[in-house]
Amino acid sequence: MIFKKIFNYLFIVSMLMLPALGLFKFHQYMDYYEMFILVGTGLTFIWMSNYWQSFKYLVTSVLALSFISIFLYEGNLLSGEERFILKYFLSSQSAIMWMCSLYPLSLLMYWLYLFKKQAFFGNFASQLTWIATAMGFIGLLVRWFESYLISIDVGHIPISNLYEVFVLFCLITALLHLYYEEKMNRKELGAFVLIIITVAVGFILWYTFSKGADAIQPLVPALQSYWMKIHVPANFIGYGAFAIAAMISIAYLLADKGILRSRLPSLIILDDLSYKAIAIGFIFFTIATILGAVWAAEAWGGYWSWDPKETWALIVWLNYAGWLHLRLVKGLRGPMLAWWSVIGLVITTFAFLGVNLFLSGLHSYGEL
Amino acid sequence: MAQSTKNLPSFIHLLSTMRFAITMLCFIGIASVIGTILKQNEPYENYIIKFGQFWFEFFEAMGLYNVYQAFWFLLILIFLIISTSFCVSRNSPKILKEYKKFQLNARERSLKSFKHSYEIPVKKFSTSKLEKLLTENKFRVKKQTNKNGDLIISAKKGDLQKLGYIFTHLAIIIISIGGLMDGNLVLKMQELTGSKQIIYEDLALNDVPESGKLTNSNFSYRAQMLLREGEKQSVAVLKAKEGYFIQDLPFIVGLNDFRIEHYSTGQPKSFESDLIVEDKETGELIKKTINVNTPLTFNGVTIYQSSFEDGGSELALDVWNLHSAEKTSKMESIIFKKNELVINNQTYFFEFNDFRKFNILDIEIGNEKKPTNVGPSFIYKVRNQSGQAKEYQTYQYPMMIDNSSYFVSGMRKTPQEDYQYLKLPADANGEINGFMIFRELLHSPQILNNAIKRVVAQSFPEGGEKSQIYFEGVDRVLSGFIEGGYSQIAESIDTTLPIEDQERIANSYIKIIFLVGKELITIYELNNIEADNFLFESNHKFVQESLTGFNDSFFYGLPIFLELKNYVHVQSSGLQLTKSPGQFWVYLGSILLVLGIFCMIYIQEVRLWILKKKDNKDILLALTTNRHRLEFDQFAHKISQLMKKTFN
Repeated sequence: MIFKKIFNYLFIVSMLMLPALGLFKFHQYMDYYEMFILVGTGLTFIWMSNYWQSFKYLVTSVLALSFISIFLYEGNLLSGEERFILKYFLSSQSAIMWMCSLYPLSLLMYWLYLFKKQAFFGNFASQLTWIATAMGFIGLLVRWFESYLISIDVGHIPISNLYEVFVLFCLITALLHLYYEEKMNRKELGAFVLIIITVAVGFILWYTFSKGADAIQPLVPALQSYWMKIHVPANFIGYGAFAIAAMISIAYLLADKGILRSRLPSLIILDDLSYKAIAIGFIFFTIATILGAVWAAEAWGGYWSWDPKETWALIVWLNYAGWLHLRLVKGLRGPMLAWWSVIGLVITTFAFLGVNLFLSGLHSYGEL
Repeated sequence: MAQSTKNLPSFIHLLSTMRFAITMLCFIGIASVIGTILKQNEPYENYIIKFGQFWFEFFEAMGLYNVYQAFWFLLILIFLIISTSFCVSRNSPKILKEYKKFQLNARERSLKSFKHSYEIPVKKFSTSKLEKLLTENKFRVKKQTNKNGDLIISAKKGDLQKLGYIFTHLAIIIISIGGLMDGNLVLKMQELTGSKQIIYEDLALNDVPESGKLTNSNFSYRAQMLLREGEKQSVAVLKAKEGYFIQDLPFIVGLNDFRIEHYSTGQPKSFESDLIVEDKETGELIKKTINVNTPLTFNGVTIYQSSFEDGGSELALDVWNLHSAEKTSKMESIIFKKNELVINNQTYFFEFNDFRKFNILDIEIGNEKKPTNVGPSFIYKVRNQSGQAKEYQTYQYPMMIDNSSYFVSGMRKTPQEDYQYLKLPADANGEINGFMIFRELLHSPQILNNAIKRVVAQSFPEGGEKSQIYFEGVDRVLSGFIEGGYSQIAESIDTTLPIEDQERIANSYIKIIFLVGKELITIYELNNIEADNFLFESNHKFVQESLTGFNDSFFYGLPIFLELKNYVHVQSSGLQLTKSPGQFWVYLGSILLVLGIFCMIYIQEVRLWILKKKDNKDILLALTTNRHRLEFDQFAHKISQLMKKTFN
């Protein structure tokens, strides 16, 4: 107990100290917005971990391991291939590959848990998801560092292309899932949510091995903005939450038909959870779209150009606005909303991926 | 008409229904999907090619090439605003009234029928304790003692949830109005009334009629300006359909310098324009460097970096005749200007269209392809006298292709095609001179004759009649090659020789041509001991590549090769100038929207009543919420437990 208390205090202190240290050492490389984002991130972490104890452990271990990795690099990119620990664990690419192998494994465990109902499998599945998530975040943070090792002017936050945001998508979806799992104290839904994460992992692997997408590319001028640091994560909280809602809705539809009913949480709980996911996704998606508009005004000279990506963001927004409206104002419940949320994921996927694949526009830096 | 007037109230009713609003939103959704699938604002020819004349006109009438500016689309938006306004004005008073109202007239029986209704035993009752407990739990409290002495307390919290409804809907109205303000509604009206007309021809500024000019008072616009380095302008171009308007600006923009910076890999890192802006009225001067993501706002107009182009770079070119031994001549040209040249008694018209200082191509280096800067190139069209044009792109420096270094020039007949490349090998100094010497040697009868003789002497050292016949044969092959390349020889083989011999003979011809080619260089080197163009480890490869290059030049469509010797780079910066008074409202609406959504989703409205009857020690607690959620059960339970604890 006393250790926990000390740890909590240490966490708060370090979340204040680390940004302060960053400001002290690197302020000449940052503009005011970036300083604000840095300090804000520390405060957000304190606030969030106050809500959710486990988050604190994640942040701590990710930061600790990332710093170890950075330390081991000794400012030389080649260390990533020469040093044993970096090569097999802590270089960005190997950390991300760990993530890619652990998520499918935890999907398997979740299904074993669903069928066998043994606590061991459930706990193991959660642990694997936590570790995979930590590895993914380490991968991104180290990648951020590696980009600066390539060259100072190449350095940028790794959320700028399709490969990087797919990793981000996996991580955010997993985190949201872990949050609900812990709050509800039910582990069955992992069997569904991890499906979509595993699909994304499949994409990452294909994209890496057939297209070499994991190479770090410098930023095109339009992306050189602090807005990216808030617009993209906000967007992906939206995407992740919508994905979770859809997967839970699938569970709902199955349970509604009597399939797996005895093994899944009650319909009321499933319904409530998918509402919660969509609610949180909707808020973040709204914010992300607005921030995107503000950014577009700054980079392209208009907050709204009816660019395909913008337009599809509007369609996604309208879709979930309709969903929420029916539920909140008309009090609608049940299979119809569940179906709607599944279709919502199809629309969202098109906005996220299809637009980049099939339509050209200002957002064309995400091309395959 | 009378009918519709009579039905007006029900029409308004229809407008204000949610079903109508949702229908409008669905329309916007569908229109948006069309707008993304059908590429917008393309040149009209592209659409005609795609759909054919009939459907092209049909789609044009429907405004599908510019959905978001289409009349019907704006109409939907306006209807949406009206409909949402009706919704808000109808529902807001109710909501505001409820916001103030505490229902103190609740009956015991109805309270007992609530799902969350508790009878709490009380040992010692205290109103102040109860009120304290409720305010601690963020309730607003109102109490009243009825005539019969019963105490009723009504409390509530989370009223903001209902205000969320007003916020979000108001936000949609504000955002839409802001969007319409920045749309071109006013201009559309002026177009409809005929006071403004789109210009379709390319006119000099002075020739543009008043009806094609938009004054400074234009409410909102998004116009373009292309500025050459050193140039100043005070008007911008507003594109409309296939034509444009001229937009007057409140200031003069000058471009001092335009820069593109590159990463070490060659990708562009930044586009920067050094601007100097002068207010037309006050004469106030501002100097600022803008780039993507850092625009400049001046006098209500924001200037953005949006594109770049060549601004008329000056090129110094060497003209090499590929099909004669002629020496090089010089050509001076300027991008966007035309040149004329007479070659072999034919006039060619050159149109220089673009100069690119950097070209990033995927070049194979080692075993992997890497984006690499291959240096400057220039793009030009060459028209013959009948007006037919071919497009060329020629690179200044040699490029490494399959371990050899080539000067490369692409040719295509239409913009839809890929370039076909002419590759001329670079000599030992990395220059084109080696190839050109080789070409000159081929076209010098004396030297060629010498070389053929030497080749023949190698096969027939003793001379004689056989060697004379062989000499004539080789001479014929070579003159065929010089006249029209391998295909010329192939033609004669096809027509004169039996099929079974053709391949064998062709191979021996190729070998002979190669031997003669090699001999040409040997002779050249003997005569020019100082020359270092062919100081390769072996000339073998160079001769082969030169022969291939020479042969390919017959398919180049042009008897000359233009070599870029020097250039003065002049650039143009593409600026976007935006006046958008609606932006403020859109942002304001956006904040309201987020606030509203937050209220609607995360604030739980709770109403609570406590009835303490005069003749009863216990109290009756009832809770209700307008939106039932799982947490509410826990919350109600928690409150009841708290009360039990407080009064026991």
